[in-house]
Amino acid sequence: MQNFTRRKVLALGAMGVAMPWVTKASAQERKITVAAYSDIFEDIYKKAVIEPFMKANPGIRVDYMGMPTSAQNLGMLRAQKAAPQIDVCIMDVVVAKAGGDEGIYKPVTAEQLPVMKQLVPAAIIEGVPGPAVTFDTIVMMYALSKFPTPPTSWKELWNKQHAGRIAIDAPPNLLGVGLTLIANKLAGGGDYRQSIDKGIQLLGEMAPLVQTWDPKPNPYAAVANGVVDLGIGYNARAQTISKQNADRMAVAMPEEGSIAQINTINLVNGSKQPEAALQFMSYALSAEAQATFTEALYYVPTNKGAAISEEARKKTAATPERMARMIDVDWIEVAKFRDKITEQWRRNVISRS
Amino acid sequence: MYLEVESLEKRYGHFAPSVSDLSFSLGQGELLGLLGPSGCGKTTTLRMISGLVQATSGKIKVGGQDVTRLPTYRRNMGVMFQSYALFPHMTIAENVAFGLQMRKARHADIAKRVESALAMVHLSGVAERKPRELSGGQQQRVALARALVIEPDILLLDEPLSNLDAKLRDNMRGEIRDIQQRLRMTTVFVTHDQTEAMAICDRIIVMNRGKLEQIGTPHDIYENPATPMVAEFVGRINRLEGQWRSDGAIAVGDSLLQVKDGGGTGRVLIMIRPHRIDLGAWGTASAGSAEENTIAGTIRHVTYVGDTFQYEVATTGGLLQVEKATSSMADPFQPGDAVTLRWKTRDTLTFSTEIAG
Amino acid sequence: MTVSTVDADARSGGGRLLLTLLLPIIFVNVIAFIAPVANLVAMSFREATATGSMKEGMDLATWSSLVGDAYYWSMLWRTIWIGALITLVTLVLSYPLALFVSRAEKAKALLIVLCISPLLISAVVRTYGWMVILGDQGFLPALLRSFNVTPPRLINSQLGVVIGMTEILMPYMILSLLSGFGKLDTTLEQAAETLGAGPLTVFRRIVLPLSMPGVLLGCLLCFVLAVSSFITPKMLGGGRVALLATEIYDQAIVTLNWPVAACLSVLILIVFGTALLFYGQLSKIVE
Repeated sequence: MQNFTRRKVLALGAMGVAMPWVTKASAQERKITVAAYSDIFEDIYKKAVIEPFMKANPGIRVDYMGMPTSAQNLGMLRAQKAAPQIDVCIMDVVVAKAGGDEGIYKPVTAEQLPVMKQLVPAAIIEGVPGPAVTFDTIVMMYALSKFPTPPTSWKELWNKQHAGRIAIDAPPNLLGVGLTLIANKLAGGGDYRQSIDKGIQLLGEMAPLVQTWDPKPNPYAAVANGVVDLGIGYNARAQTISKQNADRMAVAMPEEGSIAQINTINLVNGSKQPEAALQFMSYALSAEAQATFTEALYYVPTNKGAAISEEARKKTAATPERMARMIDVDWIEVAKFRDKITEQWRRNVISRS
Repeated sequence: MYLEVESLEKRYGHFAPSVSDLSFSLGQGELLGLLGPSGCGKTTTLRMISGLVQATSGKIKVGGQDVTRLPTYRRNMGVMFQSYALFPHMTIAENVAFGLQMRKARHADIAKRVESALAMVHLSGVAERKPRELSGGQQQRVALARALVIEPDILLLDEPLSNLDAKLRDNMRGEIRDIQQRLRMTTVFVTHDQTEAMAICDRIIVMNRGKLEQIGTPHDIYENPATPMVAEFVGRINRLEGQWRSDGAIAVGDSLLQVKDGGGTGRVLIMIRPHRIDLGAWGTASAGSAEENTIAGTIRHVTYVGDTFQYEVATTGGLLQVEKATSSMADPFQPGDAVTLRWKTRDTLTFSTEIAG
Repeated sequence: MTVSTVDADARSGGGRLLLTLLLPIIFVNVIAFIAPVANLVAMSFREATATGSMKEGMDLATWSSLVGDAYYWSMLWRTIWIGALITLVTLVLSYPLALFVSRAEKAKALLIVLCISPLLISAVVRTYGWMVILGDQGFLPALLRSFNVTPPRLINSQLGVVIGMTEILMPYMILSLLSGFGKLDTTLEQAAETLGAGPLTVFRRIVLPLSMPGVLLGCLLCFVLAVSSFITPKMLGGGRVALLATEIYDQAIVTLNWPVAACLSVLILIVFGTALLFYGQLSKIVE
């Protein structure tokens, strides 16, 4: 308390008397705030990327702000539009696009951020302010005790043996949106931009087997805790949680291929430390940081030069054969009819369960 | 006998019974008072008759039919509560009509009977008002009308006058008696006020500690109380202690007292009402006779209360209260005056000390 | 009455003190209630693109698309009737309890504390408790299976939401009922009995009408809480129960369509206003 008061007095004094000194001090140590996912992502990202960056750049302090979802991340900045307190956002590409359209993020170019030239082509997305920093894929999680042999196909979701033991995050959650596109491909529904009717119809057949369309707290815990036997989720998180619950839960990447989820790294429009922010983004996209993060959390790196171990490669979709089977999705296009997908689910899928 | 109560008892848990061994009967059209100090069991008795309290044992019969185990709502008894218990969410007419609706009376019939019931208690103009818009006295009349309109077998009144001011109470008392007489309604009236009971009851039961002390007409109760408790409860009274003599007289201090039909041995309790004692100047007294007792005393204290003088007189037997009607003349006695106290033999009440104990 | 008192005080100078004392709460109200609601209303007149970004300028586009969409109408009705159902079930379960507590002679204070003690635990934790009890592998289904009964779906369904919400709202209902039971007086019931009313009639004609103020207050409170709560419906609904409150959450937090979320929030405010109006009218009738 006393300490606090003294500090306050000091701060007040600094305003009036020591202004030149303060300016000099802040020039020496610049501070930026990075907002990204909370939970596991936060724990690992801090260790794998932020701490090494601060060690390499002693003049820059990076604060991490954990957000449960990308939408909440953008929401925070909408509220701070006049004076943003965040400098860099890592978030889903769909949300980043919306924020970019509102002018909340500033588009970056390869001139500002030369490391962008090292990225895979898919990492530079038209209309999105920042480049992709991680790729992930939708996978199935299953309870080890219920599967003598690991499932290999999405069709396992239609297996009547699992009646009442399946957890699916329904749209508007992007996992559900992704599953719609996967189902549409399984049903031979053709280009999703034209129609997803066949996919919806197929999902309707799965619906009676589903226990919950909104697993709490999340689908990973639902499988790991034995609430359900089968669920869908994102690979990186699923891998990490299955490592923590090795006797209960495992991850399957179905042979029909999957859909990528993309996180981009974006510069906030109005950041007070744009140079430091760019410096951090540059590091986050570097081969070194990308490799370290993948080893720790199994996201697919976006930097071509990221050297990853065989073990980590097995746990990601980064093998050439898996990459070849990926279902091509333009998330920005999909976002335009996300509402329609949600409505279709409510009318024709969830209502049948 | 219309209402018969036999060996009625009420116990709560392991405590001493609230009412025990209570038996009495009541003729058609009779008004019975249940009189006693608070906690004597009179209200419990009334509630057992109405069915609101289950009797532990004993019987209650109405017109020969045993109703002891019948629930209240099948007993057809009109009850008037101390707090009137009018339904606050209903109009006066609805309150009075309630019992008739329960009896499935016809609509037109109900309206007519409600009207005449309200007329009977002089409240014709307030039918559409709510109870809280009425004065205490009016509310009480409504309660009476509501209890009577169902033509109950028995009317039970639980301290109906205790919430009214003194003047209104006297009026209401008369009115209740009037209506009761007119309808020849068999009625049980609970009160702790002996004047009230005496004024309107045909007979009175005095209760104490859950037991019947005496049952009788007001005159009986006052003139021939069965126990000292009754004697003391129904009016002011003097207490003297004496010793039976073999000749049937009683020795109190230096004096001898005669009694109406005496005889006994050992100690005896004597009770005399203050206003039945005559005072005379010392020496004017003739000696005691078989008709009259006299005893010498000295005035200790005089209190003037308007209609009476209240004297405190020291005698060899102890202090006695004497009450004399005042007149326009001055106070005839002063403290310190030697006086003779004189009263009729038949006003000398005696009780064996075991009862008094 | 109140106004004239304030006027009189203001003239005497006591009003200045009163105003000074009221200032903090007025200030807090403006900051914490009026300004956000105004902001919400303003937001409802904006529009979001398909990808979630908000357009500049204000118009009625979001409102008109909402009003024209049968889906939202059905959601509104579902919200109202599930809210009403939860309120009714809560009332039916709480009424006897509250009556018992209000008549308890011994340990009444203890019983009241017991009734409201669930409020000491957050609704989220209690909802997790229900997930454990009612879940697929939970206590109750296991018990039913041990009697060879196939358990129905107790959570991840409308039933689950009703069960969970009822338990969560019962303390509020019981408190409201207790506060409204002031007019009840056992003597009145006894009076009705002596007039020939059996237990059911006594309840219908005396106890129920006299406890109506508490019933109405409890119903208003529980209905408003039921309609506005989203955590329990989300956790126990399993995505099968789409209500206004959960849709607001989805639109604001998942789809990022703040204008639609704002419209739906205004809609809920209208529902509350209507409920309050009903309450006012009904309490005048039962008064």
